[in-house]
Amino acid sequence: MLLLQSIILGLLLGGLYALLAAGLTLYFGIMRVVMIAHSAFLVLAAYLAWWTNSRLGVDPLLSMVVTVPLFFAAGVLLQRGLLSRLRPATLTMMSVLITFAIALVIEGLLGYAFSGTQRRIQLGYGTASFDLFGARVAVVKLIAFGLAAVSLAALYVLMRHTQFGWALRATIQHRDAARLVGIDTERTAGFGFGLGLATAAVGGTALALDTTIYPSLHWHWIGPLMAIIVVGGLGSVPGAAAAALLLGLAQSLLQIPMGATWAQTVFYVALFATLAVRPQGFFGGRLAQRF
Amino acid sequence: MPNASDGLRTSDRWLPLGGAGLLVVAILVFPSLAPNPYILSTGVIVLNWAVLATSWNFVGGFTGYLSLGHGALAGLGGYATGLLVAKADLPSFVALVVAALLVAALAIPIGFAALRVRGASFVIVSIALVLILLLVFQSWSSLTGGSRGLVVPRPFPGMLRPEHHRVFFFLFGGLLLLALLTWWLLDRSRFGMGLKAIREDEDKAESLGTPTFAYKLTVFVVSAAFTALAGGLYALWFGDLDPVFQFSVLTGSYIVLMALLGGVRNLFGPLLGALIVGIALEYFKVQFGNSPLHLVTTGLLLGLVVMVMPDGVIPSLVSVVRRLRGREQSSIRELSAADLAERRRRERAEARS
Repeated sequence: MLLLQSIILGLLLGGLYALLAAGLTLYFGIMRVVMIAHSAFLVLAAYLAWWTNSRLGVDPLLSMVVTVPLFFAAGVLLQRGLLSRLRPATLTMMSVLITFAIALVIEGLLGYAFSGTQRRIQLGYGTASFDLFGARVAVVKLIAFGLAAVSLAALYVLMRHTQFGWALRATIQHRDAARLVGIDTERTAGFGFGLGLATAAVGGTALALDTTIYPSLHWHWIGPLMAIIVVGGLGSVPGAAAAALLLGLAQSLLQIPMGATWAQTVFYVALFATLAVRPQGFFGGRLAQRF
Repeated sequence: MPNASDGLRTSDRWLPLGGAGLLVVAILVFPSLAPNPYILSTGVIVLNWAVLATSWNFVGGFTGYLSLGHGALAGLGGYATGLLVAKADLPSFVALVVAALLVAALAIPIGFAALRVRGASFVIVSIALVLILLLVFQSWSSLTGGSRGLVVPRPFPGMLRPEHHRVFFFLFGGLLLLALLTWWLLDRSRFGMGLKAIREDEDKAESLGTPTFAYKLTVFVVSAAFTALAGGLYALWFGDLDPVFQFSVLTGSYIVLMALLGGVRNLFGPLLGALIVGIALEYFKVQFGNSPLHLVTTGLLLGLVVMVMPDGVIPSLVSVVRRLRGREQSSIRELSAADLAERRRRERAEARS
């Protein structure tokens, strides 16, 4: 029973990882940028959800009405205002530093505004759970997974079946060629960044539902997320999703014999193993070869 | 085509020697000028930063691969030294050297994984290194003492505190000079040329026969060894290690900030950056204590440096001076292929209009 429980929890967690890793993959595809601040924005969204709930007294899910558009705009601004102004030759390295700096600023401001105290949302349905083949699954975990799954599906439809999605994928595949057929790649890249950051807003809300949050939490997320996108192959969304589910499951299963702290190391072991054995990642395409 | 080799004036050639002389005098004189032991201990901390930033610059400056994880290598050196002294009863300075060798050996598999592909993976591994080591050293409390910390026995028992600071100030000074000398020698060597070729264009360097992977790995190991020496010396000086501080992401970002601010292509750039940032850090600690605004300031500064003067203070100042003197800009700042391409594009655009 414990095993089944772990498998279910692992898959639910993997869904959230998959959504967040999809955002990271988008940035990397668009600009070859490793966005360290992604998980800082995630924690920021979680704090906003907590704040909505504790100060305004409404359901934390409602905070997404504000945070998703807000984060989208922030992503566009970040790409247009900062990242696109860096020198192309050193873009990958310098963008890491810029986003790292943003992560530090967000962590510092969160600590300043809300103090370093651990926070947790108290919900009416927070302790509710139900039986699934004999395993107990908390309702909030299912809601979090549902949010992630719906957003991932929406992202998929957007990328595959809308004109913007085509333009975005063309920009990712070959920027110059995309420009030749009349796509405004600069604007598309900006919107793509906004889209990526919007996943952090959704993910953060989902995270806040059943996790204790504190300002430096984002370091616990960026490590696993970066491991996921490397294992999946930098730039490959399906690869990232597969790696996310797999590693989320592995983490959840390893928690039984090893405990929560040591189970986290599975991400780093996977990261090192992937780079040593197959540096382009296990699902990587053309992009991953050179990064 | 302008590059580093033409227009090397005598002033440029004597600059490293003059700088080194000045540094030696400063290191020798500072302890007797320091008004109290606190200032002296601040001096030790700043020198420690200077060694760390200079060691970082072996990788960052030559190859252009920015590591955010050097703080972890220093922490590893510190813990290795501390454990060898406390648990294996090695003499302090033997332990220091053994620890540095151990970290260098460990850097080989790390570098192997991190350097096989280009930039992005290297940065990811360097950050992951900090996070994983923090996790391990906090959890493995039977060996490391966990979050209770590890007490490192002092190398000179019975020595008074001011005297202790003075001895370590000179030790750090010696290590700094050694690191600077090594960097200078590499800078002039064929090996250094290969590394800089990697920085400018790794594909071209490779196609011209530079063994890029071996070069990158070698310089990473050298850098790790120096970083571990600095970390180990710090452990012997401070006498108490805590995983939260030894494996903090902040340490690595301070090092990068120092090196970038000072200028990664100059011998003394990281040292200058360490003086500015290191003193500022100590000053703010005294004035404002440990508040979350530390993070905000560090982040803003780092962002500012990256956006406004990615080449650092020295090159920016030099170009300002050049412009004021109205002289044609020439070579103290090496031009990268991208700079040249940008300049040519600008010239073409001007010619067209």
